[in-house]
Amino acid sequence: MIQQIIAVLLILLFFSKILAQWKKKTITNNEFAFWSIFWGLGIIIIIMIKPIDRLVLEMGFSSSGISLVFYMSVMILFYLIFKMRLRILKLEKNITDIARKITLKD
Amino acid sequence: MKIFCIIPAYNEEKNIEETIKNTLDFVDFIVAINDFSSDNTLNRLNKISSDKLKVLNHPINLGQGAALQTGNEYALKNGADIIVHFDADGQFLSEDIPQIIEPLIKGQADIVFGSRFMDIKSDIPKFKKNIIMPIAKVFNRLFFGINTSDPQSGFRAMTRECANKIIIENDRMAHCTEILAKSFKYKLKIKEVPIKVLYEEFGQKFSGGINIIKDLSLKKIKG
Repeated sequence: MIQQIIAVLLILLFFSKILAQWKKKTITNNEFAFWSIFWGLGIIIIIMIKPIDRLVLEMGFSSSGISLVFYMSVMILFYLIFKMRLRILKLEKNITDIARKITLKD
Repeated sequence: MKIFCIIPAYNEEKNIEETIKNTLDFVDFIVAINDFSSDNTLNRLNKISSDKLKVLNHPINLGQGAALQTGNEYALKNGADIIVHFDADGQFLSEDIPQIIEPLIKGQADIVFGSRFMDIKSDIPKFKKNIIMPIAKVFNRLFFGINTSDPQSGFRAMTRECANKIIIENDRMAHCTEILAKSFKYKLKIKEVPIKVLYEEFGQKFSGGINIIKDLSLKKIKG
């Protein structure tokens, strides 16, 4: 129970940061909506952890619900890192193109 | 026939003047690209007075591959018929330029690579010769269908048509494999000629090889 409360408090802390960014307009409405849903789902999972445990067992997995959530989070994180690498590559290419144009103009 | 030599330079204050002066007699034009060096490379380049030298200056450090592409674009715009890629660190011998461009002049090839392994003219460090190069050769053959005696040759010459086809997209050291891979992919007439390389502390380290594999893999995934 205490662990669940700490986890929810942490999520609320993260969410407050996002709310502040949204109020400062440093993130768009779409980004705010995405992160609200993301952290909202996080809170639901934490509150509903016992029913999720039962569901995971019924689905035939040997691990507990929280472990499954953890494994999936790691997989999602890896995917996001990969996507970010590709985006950085694209940015690097744009920077190279601009720098080359400046060089050849001089 | 206008022959341009592209020389990328990053922190090469010790060798750049000598490399340029040694090369001037063998080509019609030299394009030296200062890749945002933090030492006196740019001053040394500006000190050389020659109508045959053009100094280009990257506003940020982009890497050797990007510098070569900048040089190619400049050379193509200014009417180059043959483009030679040459290192600034003094490891290549400018006397080898005539034999690397000869097959292009005679129409026997679209692109010519200098090879350190055809005649063993160079005193290649054992670790590089027996460990790094065989791994690079297997990697090149498996993933890119490259079949050359030297898997990482930085000394090459190409025709104008070839430079128009091969756009270097790998900004850093993976451009060597990229140029080889594109030459095979576009079914260009490829030739290798033996060259001599002077080894001191030149060239790729093992960690550099790992970075090349990482860059190439990412580019291959991205498509």
